[in-house]
Amino acid sequence: MSLSPTEKTVPGCSECGEPAVIYQQANRRYLCARHLVHEVEERVASTIRSEDLILPGDRIAVALSGGKDSTALLVILSRIFRTLPGATLVAVTVDEGITGYRTDTIRAAETLTKNLGIEHHTISFRDLIGDDLDTLLSDREKQACTICGILRKKAVSLIAEKVNATVIATGHNLDDEAQSVLMNALRGDLPRIIRKTETRSPTAFLPRIKPLASISEKEISVYLFVQGLFPHLPECPYASHSLRSEVRSLLSGLEIKHPGTMQNLIESKKSIEQSCSGMPVQGLLVHCKKCGDPCSGDICQFCRIRASLGK
Amino acid sequence: MKVILPDNETREFENGPDTVEDLLRELGINSLEVMVSKNGTLIPEQAKIGSEDVIRIIRIAHGG
Repeated sequence: MSLSPTEKTVPGCSECGEPAVIYQQANRRYLCARHLVHEVEERVASTIRSEDLILPGDRIAVALSGGKDSTALLVILSRIFRTLPGATLVAVTVDEGITGYRTDTIRAAETLTKNLGIEHHTISFRDLIGDDLDTLLSDREKQACTICGILRKKAVSLIAEKVNATVIATGHNLDDEAQSVLMNALRGDLPRIIRKTETRSPTAFLPRIKPLASISEKEISVYLFVQGLFPHLPECPYASHSLRSEVRSLLSGLEIKHPGTMQNLIESKKSIEQSCSGMPVQGLLVHCKKCGDPCSGDICQFCRIRASLGK
Repeated sequence: MKVILPDNETREFENGPDTVEDLLRELGINSLEVMVSKNGTLIPEQAKIGSEDVIRIIRIAHGG
């Protein structure tokens, strides 16, 4: 088909009529680059305000992998922070030691923090446990995401405490959150479905906030792309081994056929949270007998993994 | 129409689909997992595409 030069081929923005870059299925709106950028930043700011995620004087450790989600998080927070009195940002990166993948993302993280003028610190799995992930996973590739996730969480906590952060911000988006609800349901793990990571308690871990939880993965990608910030990076070589990878494909297929599926999952999590409010579903918080960290059993996940790795 | 796939493979369509949505369906690609540009500019799935256009499909990489 040959289109005539005067034929309008791209739908107009629902706000201003300029050519759209994205269609938001949930509210049936087209947005141009300018209005998408504005809307994404407004929604993140609104999430932070309405849930009191950041308090005046907070020092926020942004977990920055250099991938798209954490890149968007740092860019958005650096802009929003102009209106948050007394709060400061610091970026923290974990180098797991993944050949052919992590070098590029760490370089992207270094370039971004330099451009934004944000303090940046890195911790490696070698610092944490004495080996890189590739070595730790010999013959255990199928457990890659479980092992990496637990080690990475511990590494982020350690570096955040070291830089005197009061809260950790992660780049989990709406798709991630919906996937987590379904994964925890599939595992039969009700406590994890309703676990609130953002709660502030002097006896628990540093609170972890997710300011991008209302933004879809596609919105984040388009937000970065239209500003020339989308990181064209390889996929983690271990990602295909994960349950999350299967759940992601399943959910994106369902979302296309049944729009609103992901949001419905998140709403179901909120309903379960409300129904379980005040009930002892999460169990008592105790301290790991090996390292003293807060946990829900005798031994924390990090110490269990470390023991299984012979470390 | 020239279509550049996420792995940089290029395909030519003489009588290609009319919209991005149709193109992705024909290629078996979920529109939530990619972004699409036409002649260098990002466009939504409902945009029309023509025989002279260069279409690039960009995968939203996962894992990080």
